[in-house]
Amino acid sequence: MSYEIQTWVRVAAYLGGGLAMGFGAIGAAIGEGHTAAQANIAVSRSPKNSGDIFKSMLVGQAVAESASIFALVIAMLLLFTNFANPTYITVAVMISAGLCMGLGAIGSGVGSGYPAGAACIGMSRQPGVANKLTTNMLIGSAVCQTPAIFALVTSFILLFTNFSDRPVNPTWAAILGAGLASGLGAIGSGIGGGLVAETSCEGIARQPLCSQSVTNIMLLGQAVTQTTAIYGLLVSFILMFKFMPASDTISSAMALLAAGICMGVGAIGPGIGEGVTARSAVSAISRNKDATASITRVMLVGQAVAESTGIYALVIALVLIFVV
Amino acid sequence: MEVLRETQKKYCSKALVISIFFCVICLAAGYKSIGKGFVLGSIFSIINFIIMGETLPYRIGRSKKKTIFVSLCSIGTRYLLMAVPIIMSIRMEQFNFFSVISGLFIVQVVLMFSYLLPKQESNCGNQS
Repeated sequence: MSYEIQTWVRVAAYLGGGLAMGFGAIGAAIGEGHTAAQANIAVSRSPKNSGDIFKSMLVGQAVAESASIFALVIAMLLLFTNFANPTYITVAVMISAGLCMGLGAIGSGVGSGYPAGAACIGMSRQPGVANKLTTNMLIGSAVCQTPAIFALVTSFILLFTNFSDRPVNPTWAAILGAGLASGLGAIGSGIGGGLVAETSCEGIARQPLCSQSVTNIMLLGQAVTQTTAIYGLLVSFILMFKFMPASDTISSAMALLAAGICMGVGAIGPGIGEGVTARSAVSAISRNKDATASITRVMLVGQAVAESTGIYALVIALVLIFVV
Repeated sequence: MEVLRETQKKYCSKALVISIFFCVICLAAGYKSIGKGFVLGSIFSIINFIIMGETLPYRIGRSKKKTIFVSLCSIGTRYLLMAVPIIMSIRMEQFNFFSVISGLFIVQVVLMFSYLLPKQESNCGNQS
C-alpha cells in the first residue's frame, strides 16, 4: 500500500498539530492550576483580600497561558496551511515544528504558574505590597516565557524555510533533531526560571523593603537558567542551517537526530538545577540582605557547576554534528 | 467580583485603544492587512480575557464536578475562540498572519506595561 506525498504531508500536519497543542496544553494547565490552588489557600487565610487575590490570580493565569497560545498558533498553522511543492522533508518539518512548540511550552507554562501562586499567597500575608508583588510576578513570569518564545521562533523558522534543495537523507533527521533540541531544551529553563520567580515573590512578601535586591537577583538567577535553553536553540540553528551532504547510510542521519536529543534532554536537568540554586539564593537574600554579595557569588558558582552537564551535552551534540 | 470587573475593564479598554491606534497608523501607512489583522487578534485576546474572568466566580465555592465542568468549558470555549482569528488569517489574505498573532497577546502586553512602566519604586532600605 503506497500513498502520495500529499497524503503523508497531511498525516504529518495532523500529527504535528496534535503534538503541538497536546504537549503545549500540559504546562499551562499545570501552571494555572497551581496558581488557582495557591489562590484558594490565600483566600482562606485572608478572605477580606479576596478581590486583590482574584485579580492577581487572573493576571497570573493570563500570562501563564501565553505558552499554550503559542502552541495553538503553531497547531493551527500546521492544520490549515497548504504547503506548496511538498517533499518528504516537509513531513519531517511538520512533525518537528509541532514537537518543538509542544515540548517548548511545557516548562514555561509550569514555571509561570509558580510566581503567580506565590504572589497570591504573598498578598494574603502582606496586602500592602500587592503592587510590588504583581510587578515582580509579571517580570518573573515574562522571563519564564523566554524558552517558549525560543521554541516558537524555531518552529516558525522550520515552517517558513525552504529545505527543498537539501537531500532527504540526512536532512530529515537534522530537522527532527532541531525541533527536539529547542523544544526539550526549553523545559528545564522554563521550570527553573519559575522556581526563582516564585521565591522572589515569597521574599518580597516576607521583607518588602528588599524588593529591589530580590528582583535583581531573581533576574540574574533567571538569566543564568535560560542559558541551557540557548544551547538548545544554538544546536537547533546549526542543525537547520548547516548543509548536510547526501548520504546512503542511516548512521549520519542518526548522528544528527542524536545530537538534537542529546542537547534537548541534556538541557533539562541543568535548567531546573540552576533554578533551584537561584531560588535558595533569592530566599536567603530576602532573609539577610546584608549578605547579598556573598550569596550572589555562591549562587553564580553553584549555577556554573550545575551548568557543566549542559555544556557536556552541548559538546557531545557538536561532536555528533561535526565529527561523527 | 467588582474588583475583577474593574480590572477587566481597565486592561481591556487600554488594549482596545492601543489596537485601534496601531490599526489607524497602519492604515495611514498603507499596511491595511497588518492593521486589520492586529485589531482582529486584539479583539479575540480581549474576549478571551473577559471569559477567563467571568467564569472565575463559577469555579469557586461550587461542587468539584461543577468546577471541573465549568473550567473545561471555559478552556474549550476560549481556545476555540482563539483559533478563529488564526484560521481566518491563514485562509484570508486581508488579515496578516503575524499581526493577528501579535494581537492575540495584546492583553498580556498591556498587563506587563501597566505594572512596569508607570512607577519605579521599592528600593532596598527605603520605606515604601
